[in-house]
Amino acid sequence: MASMVTAPQSTSSRRSRRTGRVLIHVVVIVICFLTIFPFFWMLSTAFKPPEEVFTKDIRLIPNNPILSNFPDAFQYFPVAQWFGNSLGIAVLTTLGKLVISVPAAFAFARLNFRFDKFFFAMVLATMIVPGVIPIVPNYILVSDLGWINTWWGVVIPSLPATAFFVFLLRQNILQLPQDLLDAARLDGAGTMKLLLHIVLPNIRPAIAVVMILAFLGAWNQYLWPLLILNDFDSKTLAVGMQFFSSNTESAQLWGPMMATATIATLPPLIIYALAQKQIISTFVTSGIKG
Amino acid sequence: MATTRTSNEMQVPARTTSRRGFAWHRLIEGATPYLLIAPLIFLISVFVYWPLFYSTYLSFFDWNFVRPDKAFVGWDNYTRLLDDPRFARALHGTWIYFVALIPIQVFLPLGLAMLLWPIRRAKSQASYRIMLFSPTVIAWSVGAVMWLWIFNPLQGLLNKLLAEFGVERINWLSDRDTAIWTVIVVAAWKTLGFHLILYLAALEAVPHDYVEAAALDGANNWQIMWTIRFPLITPTFFFVLVTTVISVNEDVFGAINVLTQGGPFGSTTNIVYYLYEQGFQYFQIGAASAVSVILFLATVLLTWVQFRFVERHVHYG
Repeated sequence: MASMVTAPQSTSSRRSRRTGRVLIHVVVIVICFLTIFPFFWMLSTAFKPPEEVFTKDIRLIPNNPILSNFPDAFQYFPVAQWFGNSLGIAVLTTLGKLVISVPAAFAFARLNFRFDKFFFAMVLATMIVPGVIPIVPNYILVSDLGWINTWWGVVIPSLPATAFFVFLLRQNILQLPQDLLDAARLDGAGTMKLLLHIVLPNIRPAIAVVMILAFLGAWNQYLWPLLILNDFDSKTLAVGMQFFSSNTESAQLWGPMMATATIATLPPLIIYALAQKQIISTFVTSGIKG
Repeated sequence: MATTRTSNEMQVPARTTSRRGFAWHRLIEGATPYLLIAPLIFLISVFVYWPLFYSTYLSFFDWNFVRPDKAFVGWDNYTRLLDDPRFARALHGTWIYFVALIPIQVFLPLGLAMLLWPIRRAKSQASYRIMLFSPTVIAWSVGAVMWLWIFNPLQGLLNKLLAEFGVERINWLSDRDTAIWTVIVVAAWKTLGFHLILYLAALEAVPHDYVEAAALDGANNWQIMWTIRFPLITPTFFFVLVTTVISVNEDVFGAINVLTQGGPFGSTTNIVYYLYEQGFQYFQIGAASAVSVILFLATVLLTWVQFRFVERHVHYG
């Protein structure tokens, strides 16, 4: 930082600055190590044979790595169903949020109608209602609809938690050049045509952001699926996981449990690995909503 | 936020044709905006706003999900909460989480961001960020499962590590003094990277002119950080503070349920966990509803207090 200032530096201050930087690197590397260590430990355990899980010494890397914890996990618990449920629920929630958010964002950005400000305020105000507040009435409703143990019971009540996406998409639609929309209007395009053929293709990056955030949010959600998915086979990975630890014979199951944790973290980590920079900037966008 | 619209308003060209389908066309076009927002408005009405009213209603009744009739009990559910030692423990837990996690989630990442800032041009910076951010993308419950294995008293890594230094086995998860800290560690680990990235993005957005002017006036790096950069990132600081206060009770739920199930002796229970227990383990719908009403009012009040007393120190650039 100081190098941008043109004042000449003495060699001693330069040296002390270099020591300072080395120190910073050391501290940061320690923090990074602590951050990723639980991931590393999960992977290491997932590939350990039982006798290596229960050693007295600390064995960071398995001597004889095995793969059998993965098939074992599938055998002890319906991990394959859980994975399917997590995936189905995450995909449906993502699509559902897009289908309700994009048209609304377009209407709030570009259409003039009575009570538009009121409706928009109504959408934004949902952001200060913690998600746990409506769980009792929503549980009663979902149960009356017969949706307990179904994907719909998890997906539909999660859809309205989309205020931030509406806000983000609306900002993007507002930035589209007015000429683009006017030209289409003059060509006789109706509102729906405008949305589907002009707006939608032009806000693809924002839609990608929404899809990533919505997918991760739905894949990782815990409290609501915990309430709705009671049948053993109907659970998601995030909810089912802990049966490994509450199982009475769990003393032997740490390997399969960490294998399941690996499977549960894989989709988010793959998405993250494919697009770290975009994902980080996506979350930054999500943080600048004030 | 809501004022940017006027200049972008859609001009619907006046139609001068007098075809017979004309009125229909106008009607459909006029209804379109409402059709576009209808699914969203319907869903938030049913699943967010209606429950606020219905919870308030239910909080005055004694009911257990199953019985066909609900018995009106007035304020009983609220007064009973005051007498319930479990509720007192939940409030105490909520308070501990607040006092520990607000500084940990708000200030710790800020400190780390300031630490990373002088080395932002280092080649390793990108790798640091990628590593620190990784817990953000996974589930709270799965992250807690990873830590469950580390904190496990018999075979967990932490106790094995401490044993190397001659420390006796500690029952991290079932000791009343340590259990709540396991949840706090998981929460700190889970949120550090996200808040760090927010702060770094804000630091990057500080206009260079200000920094240069201060440097020419002889300010050192430390002074620049505190007198120029920090005031200019206060909007992000405020955002992190407000969202942490709104979500902290709920965020730790997954970690509590995986690590300790609220125990031992209710020492890791917070208000959200208490609500879950009342509603979905004891089926005390009235009590659970009363808790949700209290939590909602407290959240609104806390958010208002922050806007009233903290926001005036925020510089919106």
